Amino acid sequence: MEDSQKFGKRVFGGFRDVFYIWKREMKKSFYDQGVFIFFILVPLGYPLLYSFIYTNEVVREVPVVALDESHTLLSREFLRKVDATPDVKIIAYSNDMADARQSMREHKSYGIIRIPSDFSDNINNINAFQQAHVSIYCDMESMFYYKCMYSSCTDVSLEMNKAIKIQRAGNTTTNREEEISTYPIEYTNVALFNPTSGFASFLIPAVLMLILQQTLVLGIGLSAGTAVETNRFRDLVPINRHYHGTLRIVFGKTLAYFMIYLVASMWVLLAVPRIFNLNHLAQAPTLILFIIPYLLACIFFAMAVSVLVRSRENCMILFAFFSIPMLFMSGISWPGSGIPTFWRIISYIFPSTFGINGFVRINNLSANLFEIQWEYHALWLQTGIYFFITCVVYRWQILTSRKHVIEHYKEMKSQHQTQQAIESTQI
Amino acid sequence: MKNKSTQYKAFRQVFFRECIRLVSKPIYMFGIIVAPLFCYVFFTTLMSAGMPSNFPVGFVDMDHSKAARTLARNLDSFQETKIIAHYPTAADATQAMQSGRIYGFYYIPHNTSVNVYGQRQPRLSFYTNNSILVAGSLLFKDFKLMSELASAYATREVLYGHGITEKQSLPLLQPITVDPHPIGNPWINYSIYLNNTMVPGILMILIFMMTVYVIGVEIKDRTARDWLHLGNNSIWISLYAKLLPQTILFTIMGILYNVYLYGYLHFPCNSSIMSMLFATFCFVLACQSMGVVMIGTLPTLRFGLSFATLWGVVSFSISGFTYPVMAMHPSLQALSNLFPLRHYFLIYVDQALNGYPMLYSWRSYLALLLFMMLPFFIAHRLKSALIFYKYIP
Repeated sequence: MEDSQKFGKRVFGGFRDVFYIWKREMKKSFYDQGVFIFFILVPLGYPLLYSFIYTNEVVREVPVVALDESHTLLSREFLRKVDATPDVKIIAYSNDMADARQSMREHKSYGIIRIPSDFSDNINNINAFQQAHVSIYCDMESMFYYKCMYSSCTDVSLEMNKAIKIQRAGNTTTNREEEISTYPIEYTNVALFNPTSGFASFLIPAVLMLILQQTLVLGIGLSAGTAVETNRFRDLVPINRHYHGTLRIVFGKTLAYFMIYLVASMWVLLAVPRIFNLNHLAQAPTLILFIIPYLLACIFFAMAVSVLVRSRENCMILFAFFSIPMLFMSGISWPGSGIPTFWRIISYIFPSTFGINGFVRINNLSANLFEIQWEYHALWLQTGIYFFITCVVYRWQILTSRKHVIEHYKEMKSQHQTQQAIESTQI
Repeated sequence: MKNKSTQYKAFRQVFFRECIRLVSKPIYMFGIIVAPLFCYVFFTTLMSAGMPSNFPVGFVDMDHSKAARTLARNLDSFQETKIIAHYPTAADATQAMQSGRIYGFYYIPHNTSVNVYGQRQPRLSFYTNNSILVAGSLLFKDFKLMSELASAYATREVLYGHGITEKQSLPLLQPITVDPHPIGNPWINYSIYLNNTMVPGILMILIFMMTVYVIGVEIKDRTARDWLHLGNNSIWISLYAKLLPQTILFTIMGILYNVYLYGYLHFPCNSSIMSMLFATFCFVLACQSMGVVMIGTLPTLRFGLSFATLWGVVSFSISGFTYPVMAMHPSLQALSNLFPLRHYFLIYVDQALNGYPMLYSWRSYLALLLFMMLPFFIAHRLKSALIFYKYIP
């Protein structure tokens, strides 16, 4: 009877301590300006800035110089059609290569389209059996310039080829037959889940997920650093009667972070894609079920690594620059199939790898939990592992903190005794 | 004369004090040496293939003909494409795409070959997952080429029947062709494309943070007055002597990545290596000056570092080496000038990639020079912060 009462009291005390720690952590998140920046301001503002940078999605009207050495009807038609494509804009017609290159050097244009002098002859003189070549010279400053120029010119050449072939067929048959003979097989291309091949639709979902993880790591690291600095013995765990159980500390803190980030992730993952008209095909239950293990894994991961932080600001130097490698490891900006095995295994350490892959597929591809089960299971596994590590770390911190207190007590006591001894001898 | 020698002495004292500080805590060596080295190795090994190849794709063949199988085999032989599975329906293939197993699939409908022979113009289709943009666009290129070839294949059979030779058939099938000449990076190597800016970018973010840190930590630990006092109470002597050890170390790290990228990995450097080293040196100084401005405007260590972190991470996006600046909103185009990485990137493009004379990048050099002059405007404020500012935790 007495035992069960005791047990009930302990459980009650445990819950009281959890909520005490939760309250303190919540307060800290809003009153500590450093933590406030990372928990509230960055998740609020950064997604907006990033989406704004990429909001135009695609590159249009890349300025190029045309170098027409053929000066014929066909060459002019080719250039006119290229100019009419959305991606390329001919800003000047040049007379020689040196002139055209000069305009590239002066950053007025990013490429040259050169039509050689035998262009029309090769097309018109069918018996010569020669192909007409159009050369494009492209500044490789950005892959986009190359893509725009190459795809525009290729599309125009395919279109003109079709017309040329029909013309060569000699108007002997019906239009439809001519079309079939030039294109016996038609084709359709579908760019699924990102029909404009936009840059924002591709990168932003990954960045959003990464922001959640990185701000958690930085915020928790900062708060751990503060705890260490304000502590008398430079320990992570404060000397306070509410802070004497591992699970109480871990649960109390986790509860606070989880509540803040549940709200933050709603803003980042639901509102931002809608504001900027990015893909938002996520099914609500799937997204919520997926977010829970992601946030938990991130929180426990952050708490586990926060033990490395010995002073307030170090965490930024330790973790901030790592955002870029993490983004590349996740397999979005650099396709997953191209990542070397070694780095793929390293990437499994971070919750962001699975979080980004899962979220991109939920949000962009409207995947359900079954289709992302590998990521989903991995996140739960990470949650378990990092929870265990966090508990071990905090247990160890509590013990060292206690040891420091006891040592300090003993020291004081021995000092006191020697003083007494001195006093007694003096008497 | 005497004044000069005390100044020199003060400079030397602060310099050596800083050297000792740099080796006293592991965080300095982590930020200056370990973190950049890790990133150099990380990015170059991650992209060591140059261009990702053999993307897993699916194939949906409803036709089950010889021609369809030939097409699948040809598609599989393309460098970027690897058919890992045949799916019975398009829905299955879409689901495989949603599960992330494939990046795209090629679809051949019922009776395709019968329709070709019957001249009923069948329609093939292909689907790419452009949510993974690089994979999607590379696959799109292969799929499109394959579809063109499929059509040409059918026409060619007819031409052969008319007694046309293989060599003669090409101009008939494709009267106009486009020859691309990607200047400076003819292999379209993504490692060259990205790492030439990514690697200096990582160095930049660490220079920002370490510069802010070494100054901010003096304010925080209340040693700023000692530091100023040792520096003859001159903010200039104190500041320069303090930052010089870092300038030396970061310049060495800068030379290191130049040697690594252009010497060891043989990335194209069409200008002289000296001009890239000069640009790197200017870049290091510009970043340090930017760091001084950051801690000068926000003289609390955590705000200064937050500023450095956020500014540094945004640099990667706004400098325009992935998504070009010309496609951004005009306000962002103007804003991009405030990021040293943007100017370094432009210099790199002109010098190493394109091999233009230095004269053509004068604007970017001028911009880096302006960055170096920024501390002049902030030094006064920084000095008063060093003397009067009290760190509030």
